[in-house]
Amino acid sequence: MTKFLALSRRGIVELLRAPESLFPAVFIPLFFFVVNVGQAGKIFPSGTPFLDGQPYAAFQLPAAILLAASFGSAALYLVEDIEGGYFDKLRATPVSRTAIVLGRLTAEAAKVAAIAAVLVLASLPFGVSIASGPLGLFLLLLLAASWAVVFSGFIQLIALKSRSAAATQSGSLVFFPLLFLTPNFVPRNLLTRPMEVAATFNPVTYILEALRSLILDDLAWATIGRGFAVVAVAGIAMVALNVRTIRSYD
Amino acid sequence: MAVAVEAEQLVKRFTGRSGTVDAVRGVDLQVAEGEVFGFLGPNGAGKSTTVRMLTTLMTITSGSARVAGVDVTADPDAARRGIGVALQEAGLDPRQTGRELLILQARLFSFSASGAAERAEQLLELVDLVDAADRRIKGYSGGMKRRLDLASALVHQPQVLFLDEPTTGLDPASRLTVWDEMRRINAEGTTVFLTTQYLEEADQLCNRLAIIDDGLIVREGTPAELKAELRQRQSLDRDPTLDEVFLDATGRTRARVAGQVQEVL
Repeated sequence: MTKFLALSRRGIVELLRAPESLFPAVFIPLFFFVVNVGQAGKIFPSGTPFLDGQPYAAFQLPAAILLAASFGSAALYLVEDIEGGYFDKLRATPVSRTAIVLGRLTAEAAKVAAIAAVLVLASLPFGVSIASGPLGLFLLLLLAASWAVVFSGFIQLIALKSRSAAATQSGSLVFFPLLFLTPNFVPRNLLTRPMEVAATFNPVTYILEALRSLILDDLAWATIGRGFAVVAVAGIAMVALNVRTIRSYD
Repeated sequence: MAVAVEAEQLVKRFTGRSGTVDAVRGVDLQVAEGEVFGFLGPNGAGKSTTVRMLTTLMTITSGSARVAGVDVTADPDAARRGIGVALQEAGLDPRQTGRELLILQARLFSFSASGAAERAEQLLELVDLVDAADRRIKGYSGGMKRRLDLASALVHQPQVLFLDEPTTGLDPASRLTVWDEMRRINAEGTTVFLTTQYLEEADQLCNRLAIIDDGLIVREGTPAELKAELRQRQSLDRDPTLDEVFLDATGRTRARVAGQVQEVL
């Protein structure tokens, strides 16, 4: 546990020492949030049934949070470690491979929780409120952070396999189709049939809907539970795949 | 004689899209405790691959290896506790300070927080980096990085220290500093397994040498034994240099080697 905490601390210090890497993770989601609300806000006034009395910004906020969670810099730092030889130094220590994987991912989770909090604050002037209260806000930040673990775990896997910054960076683009195959502009039941089918099979949909329910509704445990179940299953799979890859890493 | 490093029929085979490459083809090695053992060979001969297998950083295709009394495949974590590793690339995190790096390394070897801070201070003094301890590593010179890397390999006072080309790219003064460190570490009882392309370095520092070529050990012995064997075999009227032993062992001519082994002139 001490070793895991030491590695997590290193990951957090690393992020704090490269604040410029945080800028796109805050600015780009905020940009899409403002643009999407600006473009569709009039079409969906707060009286729209699926908004539960909130402005359209509340409906858009989860997509911005998920986008922020998908700017994982952890994997690029991992590529630097691999290229510079520090990764071998870590592998030559008697530390569990799980701690090596989770050290970085925990730092990434902490970063995304902080950025999600900033995005929630930025949405307040748009009239957004968190209908599920303080517990809901906590769950929202936790879910966003958990998704960051899943997504960064995926990108980290690409980094371990490819050992290339270019391949790792392009791997993160995988998220964009996944985000747009969700009900990110309207609820799932208002999508066209093919899009509804695609969204139903897309695991990101359930995380988006869980985040959205925390903002728009009181604690809707079934929806929230589905979101957490998806990140739990995907998270375990990603960590296991990362650990297996490091164990057989040559 | 207690054995610090032992390899039996060590093989590493890489399989890729373009086919199969046998980088190491059955290496047998024995390094006694307290020795400085030199492992020489031209580029691509299998030196680094062998070191990476011995240090648990690479899987072994077949054969076995024991380091510090532990089978590296059966119990890699126990082996890691007994070895220190400084590889060809000084493995450092440029965003950390020298002190932070050493403290983290000590924590990973189960030191308490205060014990880690104390050990880091000792090592910083040892490698003369106290003044630069709280500066980020990205600002260190090549020599400073190499000394810090060496210090990080010594955090847990390993029984066997693996140094993979530790002086490559260093200026002569920094190289001599690393040599002094190596001698001092060895004098304290640590076995040193040194790979190098600098034959003068091997001649100066090593008790025994092995030369690897094309994945196989082609010569093994003390520098004096290897020179004497060549002198006798070729009926030379003087002692050959280690360069000549190396060229003879690897079947290379000076002209052919010039492009591969920078130091053989």
